[in-house]
Amino acid sequence: MNSGIFIQTIIGGLGIGSLYALIALGYSMVYRSMGLVNFAQGSIYMVGTYFGIIWYAGIVVGLRVPYPVALLIGILLNAMLGVVLERIFRPLAKLDLMFMLLGTIGLGFVLNNLFVIIFGAEGFAVKSPLPDTPIIVLGIRVLPQMLLLIGGAAALMTALQIFLKRGKLGVAMRASAMDHDIASAMGIPVNRMNALTLAIGSALAAAAGILAAPIVYVNPAMGSAIGLKGFAAAILGGFGSIPGAIVGGLLFGVLEAVSSGYISSSYTRGIAFIIMVLVLMIKPTGIVGETTVEKV
Amino acid sequence: MFLEIESLTMQFGGIYALKEVSLAVEQGEIHGLIGPNGSGKTTTFNVVSGYYKPTSGSIRFEGAGITGLPAHKITAAGFARTFQNLRLFSSMTVLDNVLVGMGHHAKTGLWREILNPAAVRREESRFVGDAIHLLELFGIAGLADHPATGLSYGEQRRVEIARALATKPKILLLDEPAAGLNEVESDELRGTLKSIRDSGVTILLIEHDMKLVMGVCDVITVLDYGRKIAEGPCESVSGDPVVIEAYLGKEDEP
Ligand SMILES: Nc1ncnc2c1ncn2[C@@H]1O[C@H](COP(=O)(O)OP(=O)(O)OP(=O)(O)O)[C@@H](O)[C@H]1O
Ligand SMILES: [Mg+2]
Repeated sequence: MNSGIFIQTIIGGLGIGSLYALIALGYSMVYRSMGLVNFAQGSIYMVGTYFGIIWYAGIVVGLRVPYPVALLIGILLNAMLGVVLERIFRPLAKLDLMFMLLGTIGLGFVLNNLFVIIFGAEGFAVKSPLPDTPIIVLGIRVLPQMLLLIGGAAALMTALQIFLKRGKLGVAMRASAMDHDIASAMGIPVNRMNALTLAIGSALAAAAGILAAPIVYVNPAMGSAIGLKGFAAAILGGFGSIPGAIVGGLLFGVLEAVSSGYISSSYTRGIAFIIMVLVLMIKPTGIVGETTVEKV
Repeated sequence: MFLEIESLTMQFGGIYALKEVSLAVEQGEIHGLIGPNGSGKTTTFNVVSGYYKPTSGSIRFEGAGITGLPAHKITAAGFARTFQNLRLFSSMTVLDNVLVGMGHHAKTGLWREILNPAAVRREESRFVGDAIHLLELFGIAGLADHPATGLSYGEQRRVEIARALATKPKILLLDEPAAGLNEVESDELRGTLKSIRDSGVTILLIEHDMKLVMGVCDVITVLDYGRKIAEGPCESVSGDPVVIEAYLGKEDEP
C-alpha cells in the first residue's frame, strides 16, 4: 500500500471517527452530568438523523428544504427530544446500573420500533448536497461529504469546548456535573442542567447523523452498531471525559479504517474492539480518563 | 421574624434526627447552633436548605413558607451554606468556584448567550471583577487561578465561605467553619464572621470550637439527641446545667 492510500485511509478513519466522537460525547456528557449510562444513544442518533434528513430528502409529503436548513431542524428537534428524555431518565439515574441498562436499552427499542412503524424498516440512500465525485489532491481521493463531516464535527466540538470552558452556563453545567449538592446550594437548577446536557448530547448526535447520512445508509437500525462503537470509543478515551470522547472517537475510527485497509475488512469490527480492550488493560480509566469520575 | 423554624421533625427510618425543634433567627444576628456529635445540627441545615424534606414541621423565611422547596430555590430565596466536609469544585480554579456562586444572579439563559453574546460577556467581566473583590476580602485573590485542590485547609475553608457569599445571601449557614483550622486561622475567622454580619448578612453557625462560638454569637441554641435543650445568650447557655450535662455525658466531646 502506498502513502497516498495510507493518507486516504486515515482521512476516511477520521471521518467515521468524527461520527463516533460526536456520539461518544453524548454518552460521556450524560454520564458525567447524571451518572447515567444511556444505551439509547444509538437510537437517539438514528432519530436525529431522521429528524433532519426527512426534510431534505422529501420524505414528508415531498417537502424539500436545503441541506443546511435540514441540518438545523434536525439538531433543534433532537435537542428538544433530549429535554424530554431528561424527564424520563431522572428516576432511572437514581437506580442501579442494571435498571439503567434495562431502561435505556428498552427506550432504544421503543424508538427503533416506532421509526420502523412510521417510516418502514427499509432505509434509503441520501444524495450529498456536495458533488459526488471525489476530490483528488496528490493522488489522494476524498469525498467532499467526508470533508464536510470532519469539518462540521471539528467545528461543533470546538464550539462545545468554548461553551463549557468560557460561558457562565458552561461553568454551571460543569459545576452541576461535579457535585449536584453543592451546585444546587449555589442556586443551580441541577435538573435543568441535566436537560441541557441531554439536549446538547442529542443535538450532537443529530448533527453527526445528518452529516454522515450521505455516506452511510439511513434506516431505523442504523444506530445499533454505531451506538455500540460510540460507547466503545467513549470508554477507550475515558468514560465521562469530554476530551476523552473526542480522542477515543477519532482513534477508534482510525484504528478501524487502518485495520480494515491493511488486514481485512471482515475483521474491522473485531480489531478496533480488541485494541480497546488492550488499552483498558493497560490503563483502565481510558486514554484521557480521570479517576475522579465515579458515578455508577 | 426573619427565619422561623417550627416544630421541625426529621425521621430517618426509626431514628429521630430532629424532634419538634423550633428555632427563631433574627435578622442581623450571629446565631450559634451547638450540641454533641449526632445531635442533629447538620440535619437542621440539610432540612432548612432543601436537601431533606422534613417529616413534619414548617420553615418560614421573611414571612414566606419555604418548607420542602428544592435546594436551588432556597438559595434563590436568600440562603447560602457551607458543608461540614469541605466540598469545593476540586478540578476548577478558585476563581471559577466563586463564579459558580455568582451565576444564579446572571440573566443568562441559553438563548441570551446565543442571541446577545456581547451583553453576556459584559456581565461576565463584571462578575469576574466582583469575584476577585470577594477573594481580596478573604486575602486569597492571589490564588484566583490556582486549582482548588492544591490549597491548604484554611485556604479551602475561605474559598468555601467566599463562594457561599458570592450568591449574595441574606442568611449564611456555616457548618463547622473552624474545623481543621489552627489557632491563628480560627481567630481570623472570628473577625471574618463579624464583618460578614456587619455587612448585613445574618449567620447561623454550627461550631464545636467553643471559644469561637462564645466569641461571636449573639444567641445560642443547643441541641441534644435531636431536641432543643437550651437557648439564649452565651452566658446563660454556658452556665446551664442541662447543657453541661449533655456535653459531659459524652466522652469524646470538646
Ligand atoms: N441521611 C441520613 N440517613 C440516616 N440517618 C441520618 C442521616 N443524616 C443524619 N442522620 C442521623 O441523624 C443524627 C443527627 O446527625 P447530624 O449529622 O445532624 O448530627 P450533627 O449534630 O451534625 O453531628 P456532628 O457534630 O457529628 O456533625 C445522627 O444520628 C445521624 O446518624
Ligand atoms: Mg454535623
